[in-house]
Amino acid sequence: MDLANHQRILLGLIRSNYQVRPDDDSYFHKVSQSRDLEEARGNILLWRVYVLERACVLTFSLLKQRELLKPALDAFIAQYNISPFRETQPPDFLEALSTHDDPLVASVAQFELSLWKVRQGDSASYTVYWSMEPHSILNNLAKGIPIDEESAPTGDYQILISRDLPFQFQIDRCG
Amino acid sequence: MVPQSTICTSVRHEEAPRSVALGVTYEGRDPALLEKILPYVDYIEVTPETIAEVKDDKIILSPAVMSEFKNIGKAVKFIVHGVSLSIGSHEGWSPNYLHLLDDFLDQVEVAWHSEHLGYTKVDGQHLGIMLAMPKTEQALDLVCERVHTIQERYKFPFLLENIVHVIPDFPGEYSEAGFLNAITERTGCGLILDVYNLECDAHNHGLNISEFLDELNPTNVRELHVACGVEHNGFLLDVHSQLTRKSTVDLAQFAIQQVARNAEVLVYEFMPEAVPGLGHAAIAEELRGLRAHFRN
Repeated sequence: MDLANHQRILLGLIRSNYQVRPDDDSYFHKVSQSRDLEEARGNILLWRVYVLERACVLTFSLLKQRELLKPALDAFIAQYNISPFRETQPPDFLEALSTHDDPLVASVAQFELSLWKVRQGDSASYTVYWSMEPHSILNNLAKGIPIDEESAPTGDYQILISRDLPFQFQIDRCG
Repeated sequence: MVPQSTICTSVRHEEAPRSVALGVTYEGRDPALLEKILPYVDYIEVTPETIAEVKDDKIILSPAVMSEFKNIGKAVKFIVHGVSLSIGSHEGWSPNYLHLLDDFLDQVEVAWHSEHLGYTKVDGQHLGIMLAMPKTEQALDLVCERVHTIQERYKFPFLLENIVHVIPDFPGEYSEAGFLNAITERTGCGLILDVYNLECDAHNHGLNISEFLDELNPTNVRELHVACGVEHNGFLLDVHSQLTRKSTVDLAQFAIQQVARNAEVLVYEFMPEAVPGLGHAAIAEELRGLRAHFRN
């Protein structure tokens, strides 16, 4: 048994992107069919939830409300090389969601990522565009209560995020 | 009384109860908790990764937390316990961890440092969990070579910890204890005996703790860990979210009195995320109880 091959196959099994082949050692067949592997994958998911739900409150809350959390986390785990350093996980997660198919998820993730950056000392200014008035949406997400998109005024809005602003962000109507 | 299943069969000591120092994990940023736990502990165990933050795209130790540690003064000693060195990765370990360790050692005096006997990445890809080494000659050679390198680089004691097996163990050339024995015999490094991990392995994979302790060469066991997690889907999880169970404390007591006669410290481990649920008072009470139990 070669150590490199052993570890590569286990990485693939943990990430669900390796299919055990007939000529693989019987050990890998045993692991692939074990409840332990399923539990290990579940534990990895829970650890991500543990870190991200505290650091990405707004985006997490929206994903939960839209029942998009599990697929978003699964995609993040499968596609990103997630560092063990907790501090690096929130920006990576938010970056991944900044191009989400759901425009509101993308806008909230972009806003939260920008805010995270300026709170870390980033001197740049960021602008995030919205197609509805963001106040009530952000307020509800921060409080963890259901958002009401239908009653939110539609229109072109932008949020400017900068460490030089009193609350580090400012909401403006465009045009 | 230690559960019958964990009692070793070989001849055991009948001397007076041994006393060991008490340690606790602490990751800074919670001075109210620190104030409550300091009266009960002799050691603070720090995991550098958990006090790291991102600054200009670099991972550094939090200056605020390091300042907090430096202000603790001489009331306690520090020990460093890494989680991301990934000493067992076939392609090499994590240089990021060693940079953090170097930085930590430049600022705070440390009694010894330690890592887990496992790996967290493969070809630079992070697993998101720690896996145990296959107990083979190739893996043994790799780990021993790296332990030697660490011992050369840092001229103070280095310990390895037995980790939980989250997937079935590979049937290698060594038993669990035999692998640890071979590492300590070849390198002289120390060991951390995590008794909660043994309980998890017994619960999840049928490890015979009695046989393990009988076979383990305890000479180099310098530190013990106790913790407690939760049971989920029938698995006992190593999540450090609870106060210790009686069975864990009993097993630690048995190990200290009868097996690990050179052990110096018992560390209670808990995650900072568990603090709101446990409460400061309960954690302090846990430490008071452990101190009464182990610090005669």
